[in-house]
Amino acid sequence: MKRDESMASELSCWAAMALFVIGLSTLAVRLKEVQVDGAADYNYEKSRQSVRRVQTAGSRGRIIDRRGRVLADNRRSLSIVCNASAFRKRTWEATELAIAGAVSNVAEIVGRPSSLSISAIRRHVHQSLAMPLVAWRNLSEQELARFAEQEYKNLGFSVLETEDRTYPYGSLACHLVGYVGRDHARGEEGDERFNFREMELCGRSGLELYYDGFLRGVAGEKRLLVDARGFTEREWIVSEPRRGPDLELAIDADIQRVAEAQLAGVRGACVVLDPRDGSVLAFASSPGFNPNEFVPVLSREVYSRHLNDPAKPLLNRASGGTYAPGSTFKPVTAIAGLEMGYPADLEYECTGVFVLGGMKLHCARRWGHGPISLRGAIKESCNTFFCNLGMDVGTNVLMSTARAFGLGSKTGLDFPEDRAGLVPDDAWKRKTYGERWYPGDLAQMSIGQGMLLASPMQMALVAGAIGTGYMVTPHLKSDLPSTRRRLPFSKRSLDVVREGMRLVVSGGSGAKGGEGVDAEVCGKTGTAEYGSGENRRKNTWFVAYAPATAPRAAVALVVENGESGGSTAAPKVAAILRRIFNAQ
Amino acid sequence: MRSSLGRFNWIMFAAMLALAAIGTVFIWSAGNARAETMFHDMWKSNLVTVGVGLAVYLAIAFSDYRKFLEWCAVPVYVAAIAMLVAVLIFGSKVYGGRRWLWFFQPSEISKLCVICLLASLFGSDGRRSFRWFVIAAFLVMLPVGLILLEPDLGTALTLVPTVVLMLFVARVWRRGLVMILAVGIVSAFALLGAVYEAEKPGVTAARRERILKWVPLKSHQLSRVKVFLFPEQDLTGAGYTLRQAKISIGSGGFSGRGIGKGEANHLKYLPQSISMNDFIFCVYAEETGFAGSLVLLSLFAALLVSGAWTAVVARDSSGRLLAIGVSTLVFAHVWINIAMSIGLVPITGLPLPFISSGRTFLVTVMAGFGLIQSVSIHGREIKQ
Repeated sequence: MKRDESMASELSCWAAMALFVIGLSTLAVRLKEVQVDGAADYNYEKSRQSVRRVQTAGSRGRIIDRRGRVLADNRRSLSIVCNASAFRKRTWEATELAIAGAVSNVAEIVGRPSSLSISAIRRHVHQSLAMPLVAWRNLSEQELARFAEQEYKNLGFSVLETEDRTYPYGSLACHLVGYVGRDHARGEEGDERFNFREMELCGRSGLELYYDGFLRGVAGEKRLLVDARGFTEREWIVSEPRRGPDLELAIDADIQRVAEAQLAGVRGACVVLDPRDGSVLAFASSPGFNPNEFVPVLSREVYSRHLNDPAKPLLNRASGGTYAPGSTFKPVTAIAGLEMGYPADLEYECTGVFVLGGMKLHCARRWGHGPISLRGAIKESCNTFFCNLGMDVGTNVLMSTARAFGLGSKTGLDFPEDRAGLVPDDAWKRKTYGERWYPGDLAQMSIGQGMLLASPMQMALVAGAIGTGYMVTPHLKSDLPSTRRRLPFSKRSLDVVREGMRLVVSGGSGAKGGEGVDAEVCGKTGTAEYGSGENRRKNTWFVAYAPATAPRAAVALVVENGESGGSTAAPKVAAILRRIFNAQ
Repeated sequence: MRSSLGRFNWIMFAAMLALAAIGTVFIWSAGNARAETMFHDMWKSNLVTVGVGLAVYLAIAFSDYRKFLEWCAVPVYVAAIAMLVAVLIFGSKVYGGRRWLWFFQPSEISKLCVICLLASLFGSDGRRSFRWFVIAAFLVMLPVGLILLEPDLGTALTLVPTVVLMLFVARVWRRGLVMILAVGIVSAFALLGAVYEAEKPGVTAARRERILKWVPLKSHQLSRVKVFLFPEQDLTGAGYTLRQAKISIGSGGFSGRGIGKGEANHLKYLPQSISMNDFIFCVYAEETGFAGSLVLLSLFAALLVSGAWTAVVARDSSGRLLAIGVSTLVFAHVWINIAMSIGLVPITGLPLPFISSGRTFLVTVMAGFGLIQSVSIHGREIKQ
């Protein structure tokens, strides 16, 4: 090698060395950008593709009565679930077949075929592969024992504990408590950040529905680490779900039970409340249903059986059913008259029939009461007296009095069904029937007939308000603040009506309403007729409050298609009042 | 022997062993992530290969490379050509290419054979004319053409800088070499520009057709160039690998996730078929972070600077050419492999020397460094 040539070639080698160093340094600079500056971004990208967020359901709060008796509870429900990642195969089809094969193997051990079809397995594999696939629900003890005994054979399967609703008292207070279905766990805003949401119990009717948000637990969060194909590799808990609070009711299960026993076999409803603060003590509707039949799911068959039952067991008659109040409305008419200044010893002549133009309204006593005073008319439930009084009072005053008692508007009950009923007037009739308001309508309304409608809940409130002089807002949840407002009527008017209602029970039409009760009961019977000819039916009422001087309980009870208020409804109310006031 | 050990480049040797050790560890990590149990023990077979490579390395290092070149350069070259022809006829097909002959890849060995032939050819002075350039070009193009037929573009590509640098050092037709280099670079950019023009959003199909008619790329190469130019466009298709590679490397952060704990690898987001081979750097970078990357680059720098230094101090042309040839070949592999993993160059199938699993390549590279070591030991005796 010549010297200058050697130098030149040596220089090339130095250049090569420089190339190596610069080349590797470039990589180092670029790697710093990717690995140090970009780490947060790439880590986010990575977790976005490999982490699945699961919202876990918290357990639902219980529903308990005022003495701590549990009306709605949770019970452990065991399922066998399949973990798809134990059956991963090269293709999805092979994976699905492997799962199906394993499920049928486990079915022999459990002794019950799984409800999973191959299409359900396929749907799971394609949509929620990372989550456990439920193969058997509601395991019995024997099935669980069989499964656990041969655990080594059940690779890829495990027992999952979930909760189902249970109603320890069966059909007791079924309309009140309601029932639940299943829904996805509900979280706070921004739910879309979750890839999966566990199913949890959700209210479908009754208090379960009204207080659904209160009863539901606080959702937790679980995260799943999934591989490139979506199989779960590992899971960890970010936040534990929390149990929902218990719903404490003002209801007394003992009173409720008596009320339901009294309504057994008939269609009707009964509401018992404390007129001092509006606490609802019993809330019964008959016939009922057993909400345990709706667990774990309300099957189509059970649902249609209930829906097609002519007795309409799903209908809540206590606050969702409205009836003509009949004679139980007469105290309202009486107060309207007294407030207009009619004297308490006002008398009308009862001839047994009230005639207005071509319309004849018969009194309960076909031959008439003769001259009868207001107190007596309440006691004997004289139609003629109240028709006359109503005609003298006039539509406007009568209706505003009815409205002051909360009729025609919602009661404010903390319950999904809170029917307003109907207090008809001229404008309403023109709009609905295209007819003007006739004097006959007023006469009908004075005795609680015609188009007037009220729910048992409303009538219990009316009875209680007469007794205390205050209208209260009823409530089922025990710790709701009670709101009450004074009735805009004079004590004189109320005292006259109270005296009339006391006479009803102490020897009048509702004498059976106070039988054997260790408290003085004031009440009013009602027998509202509807339909005509063959289909003529009577809805029989009894409303009451007791004790007479300081009411602690107000009751309204209605029996559809009964005999009369005094003979059908009053004894049932007496039985309920005995449960409240008599020493046990 | 005493003087031999005295001239033995311990830095180069230690860096090589360290890299081979790192390679074994990450073949273990990448192999463990695979579902197929046969890959779980891959690290053991890599260890055996390292042993074989070390034996070859030491045997070559302590024998005189001049004698080796004199006796073996031509026969080895002829044998390499024969194997390259054989692989095209008898080779087994893996991933769309015929690269395997029995248990080895002739294309990997042939690269070293070409280097040896050129070193031997230009070891003597006075072969600097255009005529010799043509001869050299022919001797290089023959195996390159055969390799391209397999096809194995990456392997062929690494030979280009290697040969160019060797010819530069040998001072063969430098003016022409510069021109050819310039033309090569310009046409590479023209190619990228053309693909960009054809594939950028909003180009009509007719215009795209018109441009692509002039682009001499196969469809899978075209899609790789597209991914390089528009990495965000097709994240689940052709761009998936690059995206996963970047996520894997980037999520390593500064200190990494810990050896054997890389998620991109263990959760199989990184395509499993390449995580042990061409994309093993992603596994390494995720598990050791930027710190690990720096360690790896430093080890390669130690190796390559030692190689270049051997070339600088070599007192004869053939030794210098050998050292430069092998160093450049390894540098090209390292640079392209890491650069493609982070999207600096289009994806090309190339192993990372010492780290990727691949027996033929590992033994070849170790044999190559054996030659450099031999140059280091024997290359200065001419002085007296």
